[in-house]
Formats: sequence, structure tokens, C-alpha cells
Amino acid sequence: MKNAQKIKLFLVDDDALFLKLLKIEFLQHEDFDIETFATGEYCVANLSHSPDVIILDYHLDGIDKNAMNGIETLDKIKIFNRDIPVIMLSSQDRIEVAINCMHHKAFDYVVKSETAFVRLQKIIPRIFKYKKIKQELSWYMERM
Amino acid sequence: MEKKAQESRYARSLIEASLDPLVTISTEGKITDMNEAWMNITGKTRDELIGSNFGIYFTEPKKAREVYQEVFTEGFVKNYPLTVIDGALTEVLFNGSVYKGANGDVLGAVVVARVITEQKRIEKELTEAKVFAELATLIAEEAQSKAELAAQTAVDAVKSKQQFLSNMSHEIRTPMNAIIGFTKVVLKTELSAKQREYLTAIKMSGDALIVLINDILDLAKVDAGKMTFEQMPFKMALSISAMLHIFETKIQEKNLVLVKEYDNRIPEVLVGDPVRLHQIVLNLMSNAVKFTTKGKITVKAILLNENDAQATIEFSISDSGIGIPADKIGHIFEKFQQASSETARIYGGTGLGLAIVKQLVEQQGGHVQVKSESEKGSTFSFILSFQKTNAEAEIEETITALDTEIKNIKVLVVEDMALNQLLMKTLLDDFGFERDIAENGKIAIEKLARKSYDIILMDLQMPEMNGFEATEYIRNTMHSSIPIIALTADVTTVDLAKCKAVGMNDYIAKPVDERILFSKIVGLIKKSIHSNRIAPAKNDPHRKSKYIDLNYLNQRTKSDPALMLEMIGIYLEQTPPLINAMKQSFQKQDWDSLHAAVHKMIPSFSIMGMSSDFESMAKKIQEYARTQQQIGDIADLVLQIEAVCTQACLELKEEFKKIKNTKS
Repeated sequence: MKNAQKIKLFLVDDDALFLKLLKIEFLQHEDFDIETFATGEYCVANLSHSPDVIILDYHLDGIDKNAMNGIETLDKIKIFNRDIPVIMLSSQDRIEVAINCMHHKAFDYVVKSETAFVRLQKIIPRIFKYKKIKQELSWYMERM
Repeated sequence: MEKKAQESRYARSLIEASLDPLVTISTEGKITDMNEAWMNITGKTRDELIGSNFGIYFTEPKKAREVYQEVFTEGFVKNYPLTVIDGALTEVLFNGSVYKGANGDVLGAVVVARVITEQKRIEKELTEAKVFAELATLIAEEAQSKAELAAQTAVDAVKSKQQFLSNMSHEIRTPMNAIIGFTKVVLKTELSAKQREYLTAIKMSGDALIVLINDILDLAKVDAGKMTFEQMPFKMALSISAMLHIFETKIQEKNLVLVKEYDNRIPEVLVGDPVRLHQIVLNLMSNAVKFTTKGKITVKAILLNENDAQATIEFSISDSGIGIPADKIGHIFEKFQQASSETARIYGGTGLGLAIVKQLVEQQGGHVQVKSESEKGSTFSFILSFQKTNAEAEIEETITALDTEIKNIKVLVVEDMALNQLLMKTLLDDFGFERDIAENGKIAIEKLARKSYDIILMDLQMPEMNGFEATEYIRNTMHSSIPIIALTADVTTVDLAKCKAVGMNDYIAKPVDERILFSKIVGLIKKSIHSNRIAPAKNDPHRKSKYIDLNYLNQRTKSDPALMLEMIGIYLEQTPPLINAMKQSFQKQDWDSLHAAVHKMIPSFSIMGMSSDFESMAKKIQEYARTQQQIGDIADLVLQIEAVCTQACLELKEEFKKIKNTKS
């Protein structure tokens, strides 16, 4: 972050409106490198672009019944690289949904609302802080 | 020999160069050699060390013995942790291996100790930092949830205040409706002079009470941020003169002179909210009339400047009345304030008028000014800008311009309360209209199927089938575009939005003012004849306030027109298919698809600044679809959401054009 390397974000949502708004907000706030995808399939197909964080909608099969849903996409991402942090987004504030996401190794779960962006904005630095602590720890462990 | 000595010195220097303590031990565990680092760490001299037991320099001699035993049995040892007894109890890791003589016999072992104090310290700090970080996160989360709770409490408080005011207005208006209505009816009969005087007093008091309730409700709306302003073309000169007309009798009674100065350069038709302008001038005029006993009242409207897009007008109302003392002038715009408590006793009033004027002007981007001198008079002025237009003004809203040509109008009154039925009958008979009464929505629909009517007056709260349900049935099942006016005692914005959503054309607040009733009936019938001739498909020409509010989007995009256009464009592209999906899946009773379609719509409500009531409606549909309960209610909700979103799309298309035009 310090060496001016942009954080690469993947935003995945089939709600084009929300997707766009999120992108606008992120770009206005900090200089992110953002790629947006309307489906889980596109997102998975582009994982080779090595995103630092993925923000993923829970309900990706809302309109197209055959589309991959959020949890399936999450699983595929985790198979590709289990270290990519994924934040799940959903307009449902049902506890089962949140728990389900966490069971599938999502980093966090955010309900779509006016405050969604602010929460995401807080979570992202936390991811990097956590990552840094983990890295430091393994660095020292190696040296011991 | 010389060569051998050289090799030995070389080996020695290698050993001494290592900063890690290094020691050789014999097979019996006695120290045979060491480097400087080993002497430093143990704090002993070479002579003291040589021949001493290896184990005695450690906190656990038994473990130390295990180290060299392991070296000799295994041939090496790796990362064996021990603590050296010195000043600070240094922690070390041992690595070592045996060395052998020329014939392969084990002669002894070389053991290297690595000091790991520094690593240990960093590890400890890291663990501590982690604990702190976790703790801090916990505290932050706690604070956040507290703040959220507080915000929710505040929102709830505002909501319950709104609800209370709305309920109160309903409870007060309903009986007032009967009192004022029947007083008017009795006034039309033959009466003695005394009786007429008393009845007039009752009616005036009633009217005053209704004005007060309206004022309080208006302020509540402003406080709740629910005050909305229309943007419609109207004739400025006509609007003002019609309003001044109301005061003519009163001014004559008090022997005052009314001076009108109207700037003829003001464009004839302007776009704005004539009702609110009316309200502002009305409040200022009634103050001027109330506080002036002799002299004149001057009303001015002057064009300050004008460009291609808009005209800015200064309005002022001056009187030669009692004036306001200099030390009170700062407070007169506050709620429930009058210049002195004396004022209230002599002149009456609640002190809400100027507070409302201030709010109404400022919310339209204007500013109110006051100049006054005690005993000389006061001048209130405000400046507002209006957009210019080429459009025709809407059909005259002025109450005074009654068109009595239209007769033979058939009205269907849907009203459950006998008292109100009787009142409506009397009023409509007076207008010379034909009328039929239905006790509830169900009966109204039956009557409508048998006979044709020109207009329906619809009460909202009724048993069996309420006004909303009945209107929906008429619009969607009977496919009739007959004008429907809601009769409502509850004038909070929530209900009005619902009226529009189900397809009502207009509303009248109870107690019904007969002139308003007449002009609204005639206006709507004229319009429906008019629009039936030109565009019969258009069923809701009379839109009052907007569903969308681009404030949120403006904030998020920092008013960047390109981004705004993009967002609105996406909404317009995405929403119609969603509405369709919602309708079709509901018809097919495909609950999963219905759930999914509505689910996708939910975030867009708040993005486009639509009322959270609609979002809750959508959430209800989603919930019912998921649990498949209360399926009957879904039909109602689906229709409303459809109407709202369709209307929102229309409004957004307009905004899209507007932004695009200003951008280019």
C-alpha cells in the first residue's frame, strides 16, 4: 500500500445499479484498481488477474436461474486460491445467510443498504492488517 | 609440521569468528575447547571452563546431559532449546555433531548455541499486538452497535411523533368535518339574525381550528423532511390577485387601503409551487391585516432579474400597523413566538404563521427579510426564483373561478359514515349534481357495474373493502379511468403517496370545503373529457409530488453529471425487466422467481431516494414469497410496487433529459 501499488478489487453483482454505485464510491474514495463482473462465472474466469479482495453478491442467480450463485462462486474462488479474502454482500439480513457465508470461508458479510459502502471501506483495511500480522508471524516462525 | 600449525591457526580463527557460542565436549561430557562467545555467555575464563562438566552451565543440567548424549548416540542434534545460566538467563537453541579421528573413532562433539532472546522478544510483542488489535476491534464494534442503536431510537422517536400527529389530525378532523359541514348547511336555511350570527361564529371558530391543525401538520412535515414542492406551470399574476381577493372583505371592514404593485415584466406563466406560494403570501397578508388598524397595506411583486432559464421575483408585503420592537425582531420566525405575549391576548393567533413562511421560503432556496419600526409598520419580503416555461398553465386551480356550465354530473359517493353521507348528499344536491351513495368499496363496484358515473368520491377507511382496494379493482380489473377523488382525514404524505400509487386522481381533505370540492370535481371532469379526446390511454395526468429524490445519488457521485447519467441509465435499463419478471412470476405463482425479482429491486429504492415505505413493501413481498403466507396480500403489494416503479422510471427519464441538457 505504501509503495503506491493499487489494491485490486473485484466487484461481483448482477444488480448493475448497485455494482455501478459501489464502483463510483470506491473510486472516489481511494485509488483502487477495480474490475466488475455481472456473474460469478466471469469472476472465476478472471481470477488469474489476481485480485487482492473480492466483494461478492450472495444472490447471483436472481434473474438467470442457471447462473452460478454466490456460495458456489465463493467455493470456486477458494479452490483457486484459498487466501483471497472474499466479502459477501446481500440484501438479506437473515442470520442463516450470514452464517452460511462464514462457513464457506467468507472474510465478512455485509447487508446491502446505504451504509454498505462505509462498512466495506472499514473491512478492507482490516483485511490488510490481518494479512500483515499473519505474514510477520510466519516470517518470524521461519527464522526461529 | 609448519603446514599443520598453520591449518590449526586457520581453524581456530574460524571458530573465533562465529558470534554464536561454540564449544567442544569429550565423550564424557567434559568441555575440551570453546570460542570467545562461549566464554562471554558463561562469564568464565578458558582455564575455568576446560575440563568442567558441560551440564553445569544450564538451568536444567539433566536436559543438557541429554543434549550431548543425543549427539553421541545420533551423531548430531538439531535446535535443542536450553537456558544458559548467566546474568540474564539467555535462551539458546543447540545444534551439534560429533567429530571423528582418522580411524573413524568418535573423539568428541562440536556444539553450537544460537541465542534467540531477540526472536523471543519479537514473538512476544507480536502476540501482544495481536491481542490488542483484537481488543480494539471489539471495542470499536461495541461503540458502533451503540451508535446504531441510538440512531434507531432517534428515528423511532421521529416516526412516532409523525404517527401521533397524523392520528391526532385524523381524530380532530373527523368531528370537525361534521361540525363545519352542518353549520354551513344550516346557514343556508332561513334563520333569524341572532341565529345567523351564532352559527357564523361556530363556523369561523371551526375554520380557525382547521387552519391551526394544518399549520401544525405542515411544520411536522418540514421537521420530518417530508415537505414536498411541486413544479407545475401556473399564472403568477392570476394566482396572486385571486389570493388577495380573499382579504378584500376584511380590508374593507377595517377601512384599510390595499395597494397592489405588480411588475408587468414578470413572465405570464412560470413553473413553481402555486399552492405553497399561496400559503406564504396568505400567512404574511393575514398578519398584515391582523396587526393594522389604519392606513394601508402594500403588496408588491417585482422582477429582480431574468435570464433564459429563470426569473427571480421579490415579493413584499408592507403594512402601517403596530410594527415589531427591535429587540423582538430576531425571534419572530421561531415556532410559537409572537413579539410579545400581550400580542397573543389582543390579536390572537398561535405564532406558527411566520415559522411556516420561513420554512416554506427557505426550502425553496429563498430568504425572508423583515424591516419594522414600532408603531410605524412592518415590511416582510422574500425572493424566489421560478423556472420559465413555454407550457400552458394547468387548468385553473383558483377556487373563485368556478365554472357553472357543467351540469348533469353523476357522482358516486363511497362513504360508510351516515353523518358524512348526509353531508355529501346535501353539498352535491346544492351543486345540482346527481349523486348515489355506496356504503363501502364492494357496493361501489356493484353500482359501477350497473350504472355509469362521471366521478367517484372515495373515502379511504371503510369496512368490507376500503378505498385503496376499491380503486385498485376499478383501475386494474374493470379497466376504468373514471376520475376518483379520495376523501381523507389523514393528510400525511404517506397516505397521499398510497392514493397516487393505486391510481386515484386527487384528494380532498376533510372537512370538505364546498368550493374546493366543486372546483376539483369540475376540473377533473373537464380534464377527463379533454384527455379522453386526445389521449385516452393516459390515466393519471395529475401527478402531485415525486417518488424519486436524487439527493442521495448527488451526494454519492458528488453531483458529477456523467456519473449521474450512468446510474440513472442503468436503473432505466434494469428496472422494467424486473417489473415484468415480478408480475409474471406472480401470475404464474412461481414464488422463487418472484422472490428473486423483488430481491433484486430492493437496493434500488434507496439509491433513487424513493420512500422507505416502498422498500418495506418490496421486502414484504419477498418475505411472503419465501414463506408462501398471506398470498392474498401480495397481489396488492405487487400492483403498488409496479405503479411506483413505473412512475419512478418516468420521473427518472425526465431527470435524465434535464441533466443531459445542462451538461451539454
